[in-house]
Order: sequence, then C-alpha cells, then structure tokens
Amino acid sequence: MAEQDIALMAHLMRRAGFGASYEELEARAAQGYEATVEELLNPETQPALQDDILMRYQPQWVSKAGLEGQQEEWTYRMINTKRPLEEKIALFWHHIFCTGHAKCEYPKQQNIELDMFRTLGFGNFEELLMGLSMDPAMVFYLDNCMSHKDAINENWGRELLELFSLGVGMDGNANYSEDDVKEAARAFTGWTVTNSVPRYPYGKYEAAFIYDPSDHDYTDKTFLGETGNWNGEDIVKIVARQPAAARFVARHMYNFFVADEPQVPAWQNTPPRDPEAIKMLEDEYFRSNYDIRSMLRVLFNADFFKNARFEKVKSPTETVVSTMRLVGDFDLPKPGLNAMTLTIRYMGQDLLNPPTVEGWHTGREWIDSGTLVERINFTADAVGDTSHRGVQAIINRLGSEGDTISSERLVDGCLQLLGHYELAEVTRNELVALASSEGELRTGTDEFGQRVGQMLQSIVATTEYLFE
Amino acid sequence: MVTAQRISHVQLQYSHTIGRGEQFGPGFTYPIHMARGEDDLMYVLCRSSEYRPEGTRITVCTVDEEYVNAFARGVPQQGPHEYNFEDGSLVWPVNVAISSNGTVYVSDEWLHRISMFTRDGEYIGKWQESVGSAEGQLDRPSGLAIDADDNVWVVDGNNHRIQKFTPDGQFLSKIGSYGTGDGEFDTPWGIDIDNQGNIFIADWRNDRIQKFSADGRFLMKFGSSGSGDGEFNRPADVAVDRDGIIYVADWLNDRLQIFDPDGNFCGEKTGDATVSKWGKDKLDANPEMWGERERAPGLEREKDFWAPTGVAVDDMNRVFVCEGPRNRIQVYRKQSPMFMGPRL
Repeated sequence: MAEQDIALMAHLMRRAGFGASYEELEARAAQGYEATVEELLNPETQPALQDDILMRYQPQWVSKAGLEGQQEEWTYRMINTKRPLEEKIALFWHHIFCTGHAKCEYPKQQNIELDMFRTLGFGNFEELLMGLSMDPAMVFYLDNCMSHKDAINENWGRELLELFSLGVGMDGNANYSEDDVKEAARAFTGWTVTNSVPRYPYGKYEAAFIYDPSDHDYTDKTFLGETGNWNGEDIVKIVARQPAAARFVARHMYNFFVADEPQVPAWQNTPPRDPEAIKMLEDEYFRSNYDIRSMLRVLFNADFFKNARFEKVKSPTETVVSTMRLVGDFDLPKPGLNAMTLTIRYMGQDLLNPPTVEGWHTGREWIDSGTLVERINFTADAVGDTSHRGVQAIINRLGSEGDTISSERLVDGCLQLLGHYELAEVTRNELVALASSEGELRTGTDEFGQRVGQMLQSIVATTEYLFE
Repeated sequence: MVTAQRISHVQLQYSHTIGRGEQFGPGFTYPIHMARGEDDLMYVLCRSSEYRPEGTRITVCTVDEEYVNAFARGVPQQGPHEYNFEDGSLVWPVNVAISSNGTVYVSDEWLHRISMFTRDGEYIGKWQESVGSAEGQLDRPSGLAIDADDNVWVVDGNNHRIQKFTPDGQFLSKIGSYGTGDGEFDTPWGIDIDNQGNIFIADWRNDRIQKFSADGRFLMKFGSSGSGDGEFNRPADVAVDRDGIIYVADWLNDRLQIFDPDGNFCGEKTGDATVSKWGKDKLDANPEMWGERERAPGLEREKDFWAPTGVAVDDMNRVFVCEGPRNRIQVYRKQSPMFMGPRL
C-alpha cells in the first residue's frame, strides 16, 4: 500500500470523521478512496451503536435530562461510531443551526434535533430547513412560539435568513432587507409548540410542534421580491432557491470540511478563499436540487479538498474525539467520561450550549493562551499513556522494525502512525535532536515504549498538530 | 380426582406513586432498583449519574412515602481517571437485596463488588473488586437475590452466569455460560427466587426469562424479542409473588408484563402514575406549576412507565415498579386471582 494513499485516507478520515488508527487507514486505503467516500456518505450501510448496552451502563442517557449527560452521550457516539460522517454532519449542522441548553425547555429536545441532523442533514436543504422550522427546540430557542399575528417576534425570521440560509450578503450586496425579515416572521405566525409540562415532580416531557391557524397572519406578504399569501413553507421554498442559499451552504461546507474561512459576519464583503471550489459546490447545489449528500460527494472527491491538508484548526470537539479514537480510550462505557467531555468545554466549545445563536467562531479563534494549554495537556496526557491500546499499537509497530531504530525513524514513524502528520523542517530537526540526546533506541524494552510515548507527546504539543 | 387449575386474569390495582426527583432527602435520583425491608420500609437504590454523584445513594422510606434516611454515596471524581473508591461508596450501583437478618447487599457494576450495610446503613463489608471470570470472581455484577438459607445469588452480567455465595461472599456454585440455549445467558440482569427456591433470571439480551431449580437445573423459559404479548425488549428485572405470578420489567417496551407460573402471558401494565405525596409537596412549594400542569397538553403521559428497570413484590401482594428516568416508583396491589375449574 502506497504511503501517499494512506496519507490521503488519513486526511479524508480526519475531515469526514474524527480520524482513524493507522490499521484502519491501511484497510480503507486498500478499499479505495472513492469507495470509502461512498461508505461515509451512506452511513446506514454500517452498523449502529448498540444503544441498549450504552443505556444499561449509562442509564441517565435514557432520560437525557441534563446538559452534561447529553454532552457525554454525543461525545461517546462520536468516539465509537462506525458511521463517522453521520456524527460529523450532525456536528456541522449544530455549528450552524444553533440551539442552546441555556434556553431549552427540555434537554432531550436537543437530542431529537441532533437525530434530525443525522438524517435530514444529508438530504435536501429545503427539507432540512422545514424540519428546523418545526423543530420544537428551535421554535422555543428563537421565540417563534412568542410570535403572533398581531404582534410578531422577528427572531426566527431574522436568524432564518441571516444565520441559517442566506447570510447577510455576498459579493458586496445584501441578501435581504429588514422588510424581508418582518415578512418572513409574519409568514411563520402560528408555528408554535405545545405548552411544557413543568419539571416537578417527574421531569419534563417532549414538546410537539403545532400549527395554530387561528394565530396565523393570512394577509399578503412580499418576500425577496415575491408577493403572495405566504406561509412558512413558502418562505422556505423561496429561500432555498436563492443563489445566496447555495453560496451560504457552500461556504459553510468549505469552512467546516476543507479549510478555515473568514467568519460568517465577514462573508458579505470578503470573497471566498477559493472561489472556484465554492462555484463547484454552488453548481452542485442547484444541479442536485439542493442535495447535501451530492455536494459532499463533489467536495470529498475534488482536488481542492485532497490538497487542503492541515489547512484547518481542529475544533475542541475534533481534538478530543480524534485523540480518544487514536488512543483507543472510552471504547466502552466507563466512568471518567464526564471529565473527558468537560475538556471540550474547557477548550472553548460547550457542545449543545453555544455562546450565541451565531454558534462558535472557528479557525484560529479556537486558540488562546488558556485553550492552548488545555489542548496540549489533554492530548499529551492521552498519547503519553502507553497503556492505551492505540498507543501500544504504535509502539509495537515501530518496535517490529528491528532491534534498534534511528532517532529520525522514531520521529517520522510517530508522525506516520499518527496519520501522516507533517512538521516544519526546523521542528522535525528539533525532535530528532531530542530523540538523539537520549541515546540509542533499542526496541523490545520498556524504555522504548516510554520514549515512543514521549515523542508522541512532543508531536502533539507542536503548532502543526493543532491543524488537521 | 384432582383437576388442574389455571390461574387467570391476574388483576393489578394501581395503588399510588412514590417519589420525585431530588439529589438529597425525600426523593430519588434515577431509582434503578429497590428492596422491601421490615416495618414497611423500602430501600431504594438511586443510580444517579457521574456528574451528580451526590445523588447516588440508598434512600430509605416507607411504602406510605415517609422519608427515613439515606446511606451509601456516590464517588466524586477527582480527575479523568482518579477516584477514591472508599469502602461503602458506589459508582455504578445496580441492584439491592436484603437478607433475613436485615443485611443490605448492593451490587456495583463498575467496581465489580458487592457492598454490605446494616439495615440502618452502617457499612459492614464487601466482596470482590477485581474483575475476573474464575469461580467466585465477578465481571459487572448486577441482579441480587437472597435464598431461604440467606445465601446470595449474584447475576454475573459480563460473565453471562449466575453465582451463588454464602452470606459473607464465599463461592458456592454457578449456573450458565454465554449463549442462547437453555441455561445459557446473554448479559443477564435481574433475578428473583420464589417461595419454592426456584431461580428466575431476566436473560436481558436474549429477551427472555429463564427458570432454574434451587440446585441450578434448567426448568423453563419464556419470551422472545418483540413488543407483543409475552415478548420483550431487554427485560431488566423479574419478580415472583407468593402465588407464583411472575412480573417482568420490560425495559425498552416501557411496561410491566405479568405471567402465570407456567410463563403464560396474563396481562400488562403501562403505568398509572399520579402525583406522589412528595410530588405534591414540591408543587405546593412551587404553586405556579399547578397552573402550568393545567395548561400543559398531554399530561396523561405522566401516567406511563418509562424504561422500568426494577420490579419487586412483597408479602402483601404489592408490586413495586422502579422508573429511573421519572424518579419514581409506581405501586400496584394484586387482587385475589380468579380460578378456572371446579369449586374448591
């Protein structure tokens, strides 16, 4: 198997999933790149996690009553899923279609929303927007249940356009007006949720979306230049056929899966980093009738994707989950999951509880002096623990290369087995010098395992390892 | 000539609901199982969660919902892999049983140990702690039952077997191995012993109940995967009353199923919960919630069982169903059975 094929597979698995062990990369490279893309795009072909086992040992995941439990469960799923893109697409849409625990009637409602992302998230964008418009978590989060025909609340109408489908503008022009926001809000009057059962004494119950025709504004609305007696479905249809919707989805996909882009508020006046790539995705949006899976297929098979290695700062979730998958920890339910999950929060991403409806700013904004220390401490602790199955596999593989290995091979072998990471020459030379300073590397000794673990720790502490 | 008689139409009358969600004092935090003690006491095992370890405990109360006390506590986490598993603490407690002298046994699926307390909650001792599959060793112990000699039967979940121990934890015998055949198990969970000494096992991942004689001989099985009458979706617990009626906590079907002594389906309950005394106290302290309840559609859902994991019966023909996600226990009372056949 050519190492370049494995390196490309490592790139794909980092972006379309949360990384993979070297052994899995070898197997997938043998299977072929395009075949792997298809498998990832069709997650139902792979087995689901055994929910009964998870809920037996983590019974609080049945009720999904608290933020911490929800975060634990989702993190566990991301670590252990055989369907990595299913969880990655849920994370993608969660980044965009934010609801937050801080304003959520019942935490399980966000879990239901995630399930919607896992299914509709691969499909037609218009249908996804419809699902979102009727999602009780979202209706409550953005106050559409407070929007009435005689007194509209613009929150949902505004964010639908600004943050969920069009963006403020593109190519220097606005994508919609304040009047469009108000008209959208009027069209969505009557879209509400059932009253909540109070939490005492037995806890909450799921809310249901309901349409209240008596509270709907039936007068004509002019929205994005089209006039009619629009209801919410009409607004979604009109939105989905806008060129700005194609641009919006394409730029978000590029930012999440390919390379860091400027943040959303800058998109009106900042052109895409790779206009040709965005154009390819926009074209596929319309060609496929707004099909997300088709757009992802184009993206993962495109040269612009294959060549964009280490162009993206890992999010805290990607950092923690990929590290756990690499070392093989938390592959069964066990205590400690809560503390592990909390490190994602400490690195700056409180899953299911974003700072605002705009979600998280990504790219280099993930990194500051505090979050950097969290990242390095977490990843170094994990890869330095030579009892972990994944670390053992790296030690054994390098150890099988002979009675001794060179310092250069230690560095390059660790980079290779971590998923073909690349270091600046000056950084690599420093690590080689560090390895050399500690003498000959004799395999088959306890010291060898420790030195491999130390080298892995040094690598994950580099600037380069912040990227994927 | 004696004519065989058939028990039919087991009638369970809903009695009341006990509980509310609380980390301390009157109330429960994910009550996963319970055992009935003397003086109408209930020992309710609260599993809680890793992020609320203070809620992990045994709450002692009466069937009439008078709070008595709580003992044994969860383990606050010190770090990602750092705990202080001191004696008497609980991490993943799953089952509780009480011997004739009042000793309270608690199984812990993470610590692979059985802890013992007095009826008043004083820590007495423990067995095991290191995972293993040799005789007497445990791997994720779950269900517990005490036989007439006060021996302790432990469902050894990940070893797919049942082990019998003396009251102080000396290994005596074992039943079963992994598989789907008669006398084999797949990750069994709950257990009960009838007044004949027969052993009933909730063969969890095989979606069935198996019955054994006191000396471990396979006697019968019933159930299969599904949601119809007599079918199960991961039965978590089983209990047998003094008349031999079998109750099964049909976990992921959200119901209690009832069977005659031969394993024939007799009926089901899907829940009848009402506001408990503790619940009423809580609502009275938050009176706006009474109004919210009146306005909330679908309040009838409050009756329904949600993922029951424990079922217990007592000598007064009362049936107790533990619902972790709802932090409550629904209590039923069995009415006298009707007999089909000649007059007695």
